[in-house]
Formats: sequence, C-alpha cells, structure tokens
Amino acid sequence: MSDFSTTIREAGDVSIIELNGYLDAHTAPQLESAFSDLIDKKRFKIVANFEKLKYISSAGLGVFMAFIETIRSNNGDIKLTTMIPSVYNIFDLLGFPLLYEFFSTEKEAIDKFNQQ
Amino acid sequence: MTPTDLTKVQRNLSALVEFSRIVNSSLNLEFTLNNLLLSCFGKFLVTRGIVVLNDKGNSKIYSSKGLSPEIVESFPQVKYINEDIIIDSKLSEYLKLNKLIFFQKICSSRDCLGFIALGEKINKTDYSEEETEFLKTILNIAATAIENSIFIQELKLVNRNLDSRINRLNSLFELSKEFGIINQEVRIGKLLLYSLLGHFMISNYSIVLFENKELILLESTITHEKINSVLSLYDISKISQPINSVNMKKEFPLLSGFGFELIVPMSLQNVTKGIILLGKRINNIDYTEDDIEFVSSVGSLAIVSFENKKLFKEALEKQKLEEELEIAKTIQQKLLPSKLPELKNFEIAALSVSSKQVGGDYYDVIKLNEKDYVVAIGDVSGKGVPASLLMANLQAFLKSICKQGLTIDSATGVINDLVTENTSDGRFITFFWGILDDEFKSFKYVNAGHNPPLLIRNNKIQRLEKGGIILGVMKTFTPYLQEEIFLQSGDLIVLFTDGITEAKNLEDEDFSDERFESFLLSLSDENSTEIIKKIGNEISDYTLGQMQSDDITLIVIKVN
Repeated sequence: MSDFSTTIREAGDVSIIELNGYLDAHTAPQLESAFSDLIDKKRFKIVANFEKLKYISSAGLGVFMAFIETIRSNNGDIKLTTMIPSVYNIFDLLGFPLLYEFFSTEKEAIDKFNQQ
Repeated sequence: MTPTDLTKVQRNLSALVEFSRIVNSSLNLEFTLNNLLLSCFGKFLVTRGIVVLNDKGNSKIYSSKGLSPEIVESFPQVKYINEDIIIDSKLSEYLKLNKLIFFQKICSSRDCLGFIALGEKINKTDYSEEETEFLKTILNIAATAIENSIFIQELKLVNRNLDSRINRLNSLFELSKEFGIINQEVRIGKLLLYSLLGHFMISNYSIVLFENKELILLESTITHEKINSVLSLYDISKISQPINSVNMKKEFPLLSGFGFELIVPMSLQNVTKGIILLGKRINNIDYTEDDIEFVSSVGSLAIVSFENKKLFKEALEKQKLEEELEIAKTIQQKLLPSKLPELKNFEIAALSVSSKQVGGDYYDVIKLNEKDYVVAIGDVSGKGVPASLLMANLQAFLKSICKQGLTIDSATGVINDLVTENTSDGRFITFFWGILDDEFKSFKYVNAGHNPPLLIRNNKIQRLEKGGIILGVMKTFTPYLQEEIFLQSGDLIVLFTDGITEAKNLEDEDFSDERFESFLLSLSDENSTEIIKKIGNEISDYTLGQMQSDDITLIVIKVN
C-alpha cells in the first residue's frame, strides 16, 4: 500500500502541514483528518508544504476543496508551496491556480499571511 | 544601383534576417506577432496596427498595437479569410474608421492565415511599392513562424487534453481499486465526493441514494429536509440519463433553484440507484460531455461498491440465520426420544421426519412407573424458531407434570394453562397423550384438538377423539375429558401428525385421511416396525420429487 504521512508545525498563528509520500484515494482520509484537527483547533491559516509529496491524485485534490470554504469563511486560507512539477501539473490541469495561491517557498507563503 | 540604394537594400536584408532569426527561434505565437508588428512599426514609422488570424472559420485580432481595447473589442465578425481576400463592407468600414489604411494578407505556402493592417505613416506619406514588397517578404517569413507556433500551441492543447484524460483514467483506476477494499458506506461516499470535488472544483453538491424507496443523503451541502422536500416531488428513480443545466431548468426548476447544474444518475444494470447533483464549477466552466461521462463512470463504480457491500452484508446475515436454524433443528431433534422403551404387552415404533425448516412436531414416550407409560404426540402451529421454542416448552411441561401424580385429564388442564401463559402471538398446539398400562392392557387418553389417533380392531377403525380444545388458545375453562380403552391382542393404535395426511404429490393433492386409513387396514397384520417402514415408503413414493413442506411424525402401538 502507498505511504503517506503529514507533519504539523507552527509558525506564529500559521500552521504548516508537511505532506509526505503518496496522496491518493487510499491515503486521502489521513489528510482529511489532519485538516479536521486543524479546524477543530481553530487554526485556519494553513500552509501546505508539498516538498516531500511525490504523487497526488484527484481524490487528494478533493480534500483541499472540501475544507477551503470553512477555512476561508473563518478568515483563513490554505496556501500551497514547494511542489515538484508533476504534482503541480495535476493542480494546474484541474484548474486549481484559479482558486489557490501557489508559492515556491514555504517562507513566501507564511509572509503572505503575515502581511494580511 | 546608387550607394544609397545599396545601403537601403542591405538594411532591409539585415532586418529580414534578424526578424527571421527571432521569430523562428521562439515558436511562441504572441511573441511572433508582437515582433511582426514592432518590425513593421520600425520600418514604416507607424503607430498602430493589428494582426488578424483565422480561427476555426472566424477571424479575430490576435495582436494589436496603438489601439484602445474598445477598438480591439469592436472588431467585426468576419468569416474565414481566403486567398482572394474580399473585404466585406463591415471590415473595410472598421479599418477605415480606425485609420488602418495599409492592408496585406498573410499567406503561407499552404494556406491563407489572415492579414495585417497598419495605420498611416507618421510622416503621412503613402506606402511605396518597395515598402509593400518588404512587407510581403516579412509576412512570408512570419507566415511560416505563425503556422509553426499555432501548430505548437495546438500540440500543447492536445497534450493537455491527453494529460487530463490520463488523469481521469488514473482516478477511475484508483477509485475502482479503493472502492473494492473499503467496506464502510460512509467512506465510499467520501471518496466519491473528494474525487468529484478535486476534478471539478465544486462547492455545491448532493449525493443521494435510493434504498427501499427512501432517500439517503450520503454527502450534501444542502440539508436533508430541503433536498427531500424537492426530490419527493419527482420520480427521480426514472432519471436514467444525465441532465444538464438547460434541461434541468425545464424539468427540475426547483433543483436549479438550489444552484445545481448537473444531475448524473448512478445506475446498476439499468436501474437508477442514486443520483449525483453538482453545482456550478468555481472556474465557471460548463460541464462538457467528457466531464459528464467521468461523473457517470465514478458514480457507477461507487454504486457497484455500495451494492456489493449490501449484498455481502445480506449474505452474511442469511448465513448466520441459516446457522441458527441448523442449531435449532439439532436441538429440536435432541428433544425427541432417541430410544423407545420396551414394554411387555405392547410393541411401540415411531417415525419422525423433519422438513427442511425447523418445525413444531413433537412426540415422546415416557416411563412413569413399573407399569405405566405416557405416549404423547403434538404439533405446534407455525414453523421456524418460535414454533420449536414452544415445542421445547411443551416437552419441559410434560416431563415435569408427569412427576406430579395428577390424573391425565386434570394434568391436561394444567398444561393448557401453562402453554396459554407462554404464548402471546396466537400460536397453539394440537396435542394428544395417553397412559398405556402394561399390566392391564388399558389406554387412558385425552385429545386436545389433535387429529384423532386411530384404533384399529378387527379391521374396523375407531377415532380417539375424547378430550377438549387445543392447547394455548385460552385458559382451561371446561375441564378436559378422558377416555379409557381396554385393549385386545392384535389391536393397533396409530398416532400421527397432519404431515402424513397432508403430504402432497406432484399434482398438489393430499395423501388424505381416506388413503391413509385404507392403507393402514391393509397392514394391520404386520408388526409395528414393519408398519412404520411401509407407511414411510408409501409416503415417499407418493410425494416423489416434491419438497416435504411439513414435519411427519408417526407412532404405532401394537398390542401383543
């Protein structure tokens, strides 16, 4: 079975969620519960760091869609950073750049939150 | 050629070479056109110009400079521009109005691609013949570059579409794998939802399943009450094809009102088992045929998975039930006597054949003391576990009442009271019992509504009917009656349940009392064991191939 894990770090009121491994239909529930936890803790400013993510499928993308409304209605956002090209390609293919901000480094994404 | 002419030619040539080098190295349409305009601007000293290209039968401005966006917007609808360009009146009016006075078509060796139109020169002089020639040359070079860039652009689009298709196929493959593994319905719903959300960027959705005419809302951004109130107005199980937003407005205006733009049925073997309702995509793009096809495929995968889980659950439950029935049957078999006692003056034999289901037939032979034996037969109404439970109760009552030293008539009253107290669902027992006296060859019996046992003496049949009402209907009000018969050598007593007389042949006819009685008369000289065997054979010959629907119980007592 494919491996996937998440690690959460804090930087002020921004939470950084590091994605690791393969995010597909099988592992999507793990990301789902990670987001649920953050929302329960009222951590709505989220930076998703994709540096160590090797693969994403549309079910994985769906998890981002599932939570974005709740997060934004609480003045938060999910900002996406440091993707390898093949992962970004999927996001691009399905039109996500229209709805999400992508950054090449985690720091830029955190700074963007702090400017607001 | 004068030296000035030569410099001019040289300048023109180097400009052409430069232009050619730049545009051919880029393969980017926008860049090529931009460079074309800039080159013309530099060469002719103009400040405005447009490049119009054919695009699938229509022409539109691909690049412009020095014109306001409004002017670019107002470019008229012009049909395909061909080799022998005929400028229609709207186009020439547009060019005149916007002072685009110099006009040249752009043609490659194969095709006419469009045209360039330039404004007047800054020094207000006319375009010379030489300038026209230069433009034609530069356009020739540009045409090849434009063709190539368009080709590359199309290739990129094709590649992207291909990527998108591969991505969808991957998703389907992944989901089919995943749907096979997971066994919680909630999980299946979530995965289905995430795949759709990821693919289409939707914020408004509802996934509804139909189960036993009820609507189950699997995932939804709209409350159950709301969606139910609307869906219940339509026969949505009749939706067998996807419905787009246009038709939805016509057929399901209320659903359109919730912001839904697409209904896709989830069907299994042409039966619609659920629907997927999707709202507008956040990027405002309409659902294409391919999109609908994808939703439909994902939906089918999910519904197969749901159905499999359901069938699996049902099969498990059925298996469990069958196991329980098997246990009940075994217990019931153990309640019947495994060995009959041997008496001095009587020869007793019994036959008990249980039907496929757990039934409610009961018989017993119990030794009371040195000379008295109880012989009992009963049939509990109904079948299955409840009937066998009641039968087990009856056996327990009987065993304990035998030890009380009551007379058989009053004991029957007590048993009836006990059974009545212990049945609530209208069940009853037809019951017959008697005490054989092995010393004085007598038989004292009470019949509580059981089909009368037969006493056969000298080829005559007497029915043992004395008694009272069946057990379990009401508390004993009128005492049961008993009868005592003094037996003679050769007498035959046959106790049986209606499984014998109601055994059916292929024509669905009963074996019947008449047939049974006349068959018994023909056997009255045989011993008990032989009689039992022959009756058993006769019944199985009669019912040949028919499923036995009821238990068969038979006791034969022969007086020595």
